[in-house]
Amino acid sequence: MTADRFVGDRFKGDRFVEDRFVEDVAVGDELPAVIRTASRAQLFLYSAATWNPHRIHYDREYAAVEGHADVLVHGPLQGAWLTQFLTDWAGPKARLVRAEWQHRRPAFPDRAYTWQGRITAVDPGSGEVTVEVSELDDDGVRCVPGTAVIRLPRRTA
Amino acid sequence: MPESLISDEVRALVGELLEEPATARITARDAQRYALAVDDLNPVYFDLDAAQAAGYRTMVAPPTFVSHVVAPTKSLAELRVDGIFRGMSRLRLGLPRVMAGGDAWDFVSPAYVDDVITAETRLYSVTEHEGRNGRFVTSVVETTYTNDRGEVVARVRRTGIAR
Repeated sequence: MTADRFVGDRFKGDRFVEDRFVEDVAVGDELPAVIRTASRAQLFLYSAATWNPHRIHYDREYAAVEGHADVLVHGPLQGAWLTQFLTDWAGPKARLVRAEWQHRRPAFPDRAYTWQGRITAVDPGSGEVTVEVSELDDDGVRCVPGTAVIRLPRRTA
Repeated sequence: MPESLISDEVRALVGELLEEPATARITARDAQRYALAVDDLNPVYFDLDAAQAAGYRTMVAPPTFVSHVVAPTKSLAELRVDGIFRGMSRLRLGLPRVMAGGDAWDFVSPAYVDDVITAETRLYSVTEHEGRNGRFVTSVVETTYTNDRGEVVARVRRTGIAR
């Protein structure tokens, strides 16, 4: 079998190749914050790529019928932002082990959402690092609290 | 005491399979279109050499993509007024407005391109709540994703909010 090289080598060596090792992190460390903003076009593509016809994500008039001020950023898209926040930070040799999050408030397109993370546990033996994660809206309100465990490679491995 | 929003039929589904197990193959194109829609350009999703350099056998799909690859293909005649497909699940709360409440994932083994994923979904719990804007129901459905080598790829407990 050869995999379909749909996008090919375009992203090779671009910005995701830094490995992070468990020896280099400590409880209390903060992950560099990442800001995500979804355009309406992105919401459309995400609905299409996930075969999701739910109108609250593209039909503003219908979203208003359900009481929403605008169309909503998909919950699972914010979940994907969360997992990417961890995997981009940790580098390609890391393995995501667990991730959980709650949607406390709706998220809207064209608004900036800031992802923050703080290390709350490090297991040097397994390499597993626990990160408390938050998504804040542009008023600083925590829309998504979450926790993730990611296994980092060991420098001495 | 108002009548419960949760019917006896719904309560009886706790622990039960909510739908026939769904099966689908992870193609590189589907996984990459998804990664592009998220704007996650990690090369382990796009580049065989990068994936292998990272310790994978071949390219992988983004972590939660398994929940989308098994999305049912249904005809437009099956769309409800809110755009959700009718009859996707035996869980019928009878409440018109639904939103995502959150997920809890265990990632057990990589989801490789060309793997065939089977999803088995059960109702884990269903609970009625009193909120600022009235009563609502949260349901938690647990899905286990298994590959065609019999390995568990991931498990998720996904909370839905219905009002």
